[in-house]
Amino acid sequence: MEASNAPNALQRRACWAARDELWRCLDEKSDDDAALCDAFRKVFEAKCPAQWVKYFNKRRDFLKFKEKINSDGFEPSS
Amino acid sequence: MSNSTLVFLKSCETRLYVIISQRTCVDPQTVKKMLMLQVSRCINFDFRHTMIHGAPGTLLGFASGARPGLPFRRCPWLLGVRKALCSQPASTYRRCPPSSRELLHLGLKQPAPCLIHPSYRTFSQGPKNPTPGYTLRTRLVVTLLFGGGILATWWYVYAEKQQKMQMQRMEQLKKVALGHGCFSLLDHTGQRRTKADFLGRWVLMYFGFTHCPDICPDELEKLTNVVKALDEEAGLPSVQPLFITVDPERDDVAAMARYVKDFHPRLVGLTGTPEEVREASQDYRVYYSKGPKDEDNDYIVDHTILIYLINPDGLFLDYYNRTVSDMQMLQSIRNHMKAYMKMSPK
Repeated sequence: MEASNAPNALQRRACWAARDELWRCLDEKSDDDAALCDAFRKVFEAKCPAQWVKYFNKRRDFLKFKEKINSDGFEPSS
Repeated sequence: MSNSTLVFLKSCETRLYVIISQRTCVDPQTVKKMLMLQVSRCINFDFRHTMIHGAPGTLLGFASGARPGLPFRRCPWLLGVRKALCSQPASTYRRCPPSSRELLHLGLKQPAPCLIHPSYRTFSQGPKNPTPGYTLRTRLVVTLLFGGGILATWWYVYAEKQQKMQMQRMEQLKKVALGHGCFSLLDHTGQRRTKADFLGRWVLMYFGFTHCPDICPDELEKLTNVVKALDEEAGLPSVQPLFITVDPERDDVAAMARYVKDFHPRLVGLTGTPEEVREASQDYRVYYSKGPKDEDNDYIVDHTILIYLINPDGLFLDYYNRTVSDMQMLQSIRNHMKAYMKMSPK
């Protein structure tokens, strides 16, 4: 399958905006209510290529982890 | 002191006493006339009595070294005079009036506004008041000069050290020998470009790929801002921005052309065969690794995120990572350019 063209500047910005909206929604709600942000998630997944969605999800996990480490401290798992 | 006349004016309640000392006796009328001239400038007086104290040289003798047992009680004005001569301020004293036989006094209607005649001030105040020393302004000027001297020395030493550090870094960079190879790639217009084409110009180089989610656009945005800012600065040579792909399979000439137009107008995108790209990236020790493909055959390329600064001689000078802001980059490049221009004036 032919890889599609890379997103141009407009498409990139649209994707980033959708991502920011989603992340803002997730920040406001607690982890349990994550389902309430589904609308944003759908928009985000529509506007961004699949690879980018995966990448940004991983990035968010990493950022949350970093935040936790900074505030709670690191506890080795053994 | 030869025929000098010491005149002391001491206030004593409402009376002003003038004590004269002379080495040789002089006619009272002459003294009176002289006094009238000197003293009339600052006080009103009228003469009641006119007497000349003692023998010539008495006061001078007294001033140079008092003999013990001098009759201070009888001659309080002597005490006053001694005090004056021995560096104490003129003061009123209690035993008034002094014996009229012993001094010349001028009666006053009211206390004199100027007790010490200006022209004899130093005498009547005695050697007590030392020279005022250096004025505040002089001291300030000297301090400022001294401080300025210290600052200048420090600054000079600091500049020397900076230069030495710069030389050391250049040596290290030469040893690292980055970018000594000779890449040959296609630019986004399809024209073949080699490293030699860019000699004689400052180059800012970034390795990335067009499918990059956010990092490459951010870095290229930063690069664009820096190049624009440098363009605006007079006296600094313009910089050639370069974008070299680490994803040659997908980023062909057309893809590069589409990508670079979103950034600085002078940005040149370079691509080529995988071998050519590998050669260029190895030259600059750029790491890159293709990630796993998904169902769309899309993938993300993990790579070194650095902007390289190359000088007009093709020598790698510096690198800037994600944490460096565009202002910091601008400053650093400026410094490099200035150092380069200093070392090789053309």
